[in-house]
Amino acid sequence: MVEYRIDRHSGVATYVQIVQQTKQALRMGLLEPGDRLPTAREVVEATAINPNTVLKAYRELEREGLVEARRGLGTFVRRSLGTTPVDPSLRTELVAWAERARRAGLERDDVAALFTAVLDTHFQGERS
Amino acid sequence: MTTDPTVPRPRTARWLLRLHRPALYGFAALVIVLAGLELALAGPLADAAAAGWRQFDACHTSICSYDQAAILRYKDYYEYATYALDALPFLVAAWAGAALTGRELETGTARLSWTQGISPARWLTVRLVLPAALVAAATCLLVWLHHRAWAAGRGRIDTASGWYTLVTFHANGPTIAALALAGLAAGTLAGLLLRRTLPALVLGVLVTVGVAVLAQQLMPHLWPTVTRVTTLQQGGIGSAIVLDQGLLSKSGAHLPMPNCTTAAACDAAFAKASGYYTVYHPYAHYWPLQLTTTALLLAITALLALASCLVLRRLTGALRAAGTAVEAKDALVTA
Amino acid sequence: MSDTAIEATGLGKRFGRRGGRALHDCAFRLPTGRVCALVGPNGAGKSTLLALAAGLLAPTDGRLRVLGTSPAAARPRVGYVAQDKPLYPQLTIAEILRMGADLNPGHWDPAAAEHVVAGGDLEPGTRIRSLSGGQRTRVALALALGKRPELLLLDEPMADLDPLARHELMGTLMAQAAQYGTTIVMSSHVVAELEDSCDHLLLVGGGRIRLAGEIDDLLAAHVRVTGAADSDRLDAHAVVESRVTGRQLTALIRPAGPLPAGWRASAPTLEELVLAHLRNPEAPVLTTAPAATEESAA
Repeated sequence: MVEYRIDRHSGVATYVQIVQQTKQALRMGLLEPGDRLPTAREVVEATAINPNTVLKAYRELEREGLVEARRGLGTFVRRSLGTTPVDPSLRTELVAWAERARRAGLERDDVAALFTAVLDTHFQGERS
Repeated sequence: MTTDPTVPRPRTARWLLRLHRPALYGFAALVIVLAGLELALAGPLADAAAAGWRQFDACHTSICSYDQAAILRYKDYYEYATYALDALPFLVAAWAGAALTGRELETGTARLSWTQGISPARWLTVRLVLPAALVAAATCLLVWLHHRAWAAGRGRIDTASGWYTLVTFHANGPTIAALALAGLAAGTLAGLLLRRTLPALVLGVLVTVGVAVLAQQLMPHLWPTVTRVTTLQQGGIGSAIVLDQGLLSKSGAHLPMPNCTTAAACDAAFAKASGYYTVYHPYAHYWPLQLTTTALLLAITALLALASCLVLRRLTGALRAAGTAVEAKDALVTA
Repeated sequence: MSDTAIEATGLGKRFGRRGGRALHDCAFRLPTGRVCALVGPNGAGKSTLLALAAGLLAPTDGRLRVLGTSPAAARPRVGYVAQDKPLYPQLTIAEILRMGADLNPGHWDPAAAEHVVAGGDLEPGTRIRSLSGGQRTRVALALALGKRPELLLLDEPMADLDPLARHELMGTLMAQAAQYGTTIVMSSHVVAELEDSCDHLLLVGGGRIRLAGEIDDLLAAHVRVTGAADSDRLDAHAVVESRVTGRQLTALIRPAGPLPAGWRASAPTLEELVLAHLRNPEAPVLTTAPAATEESAA
């Protein structure tokens, strides 16, 4: 069972946080096909957010084909988010790049900003 | 709107009793103490005082032994009982203004009730009817006991209060019960108008005092009076509710009671008179006066209760779901 | 069954004959199933509006319909918690809950009421007069929720609560809304307190409705723009608020079309939206909720 944690100051819309956390749980194998998502009542009782926000997030997940709502029973996971196995060379290259960046005098925040900027250009339209 | 018979009615009366349990216990204790006092007055106290008076009347010497303490005890306790009974309506008014409505509106618990299944109409009705029933029953019992206690001394105890005295007249009959109901309605209205505990208490009592004074002023005029002429030797009639009294001239004209200070002046004044005239209510008018005054007080009570309904309606809008039919028609027309 | 929880047209309330106007010419519609934030500064008329909807006050002007009927007729289906949380001080918690059961026969939910009380570790035998403000709020909410209302009107429900209790009780309210579709209206002068829990907004200022509608719609209807103070004018758009700092102009507008070039746009937060409207009472009123007639025709 997944438990949502809502961060009010993240600037990310609440329903997006639920979508993200559900996907995260799917990736990590915490949720598997056939599992039931917590009911809207359970989520809002624990988080004090608006029920329609939860329903909106579940509709989004349903639209993406990740879950399905069964009337009167709840919302169930349809498929897991199989993570593509990472090519080890990608990681090696990134490590080498990070070392070069540090030698060039970049601080952690500089690297992060640079990385985010590149992510934004190359993964446009996708939310993490 | 018709009430659905399958839906059980809210237990409003039970709730009113539970909320005012201390007041209910206090009132019950007061009634029991007063009833005990009246019973004692009617029995042993009156008998002892009457025996004292018999001893006194049998005295022919200047040194005389009689039970003066018993006579005074009866007189004192009779007065306590009478004043307590006469004060009851004002106590009821104070309680109704302060606790029954004023405090509920001041603290907002009235609103709590109105949103907890009691409509304002029902809230007010139960607040008027239930205490009214209790107060009426208790005062009627006390009045009956008091009348018994008074009758026990009548003709046996020389210092017994006359039927016509203000305090005894009311303590002996239903007028005090009706005044208590007026006090309840006045207090309720005061609470609804002022919506504050203490001011409502004061206004409730003041209105009840006003009603009592008004009823007292009107009472002798609610039944036709009797005019009787007595001789100068007989003197004017005293033991009755007297409206007017004076001298009757030889020509039959009514003259005022002479206000003379010297024997000569008095002789001159009485020389013109042939007797006394008295406009009054004899004891035979006791019940007609009691009943007409009671009716007057009940009418005032009804007006005060009606005023309470109107004030509450102005406060909250429709008192019950009335008007739904009209609005439904409204909706049909617009649809 | 009406799809409208509250509908007001030309609603006004004046206290006393010459007294001040608490509300004036209010018109809005709140659909059922919403959790509505009733926001406004102190004295704006929030409490009056809630008391009118609860059938505790009679309006002086206009019309107010609650759950498809008059407020008085709707009273059995409406739960209401007043700002000062009135309760009989001489009763115990258990007695006051029994009052709820006795006075709402046929539709009292003892479990719901006891659940709310139990959350606060309160002994049923405790007298109301010895409770703290937050504990009173809890008992008052228990009474209102135990009635299983279709519409719950809460006047400043969170004011006396510590953050923990606030979160827990807000969760309870949201669970109620999720499970039974209860429409909830709660007032506050703190927007942040309600932002996550509400999906509908009623902004009251100076006795008038300033904004009414779904929060998402209201946010979408506004844009925060920044640009050079001498750039193209914003005349074509409804300007709620504009401020010049040095050479830069910042404004909150309701765009009526594409923005002129040279302006940078960003989405406002709910708090920005509310504050901008309260700071500028002359800003045009916006009601985005569809009128009842449109919805029933659809």
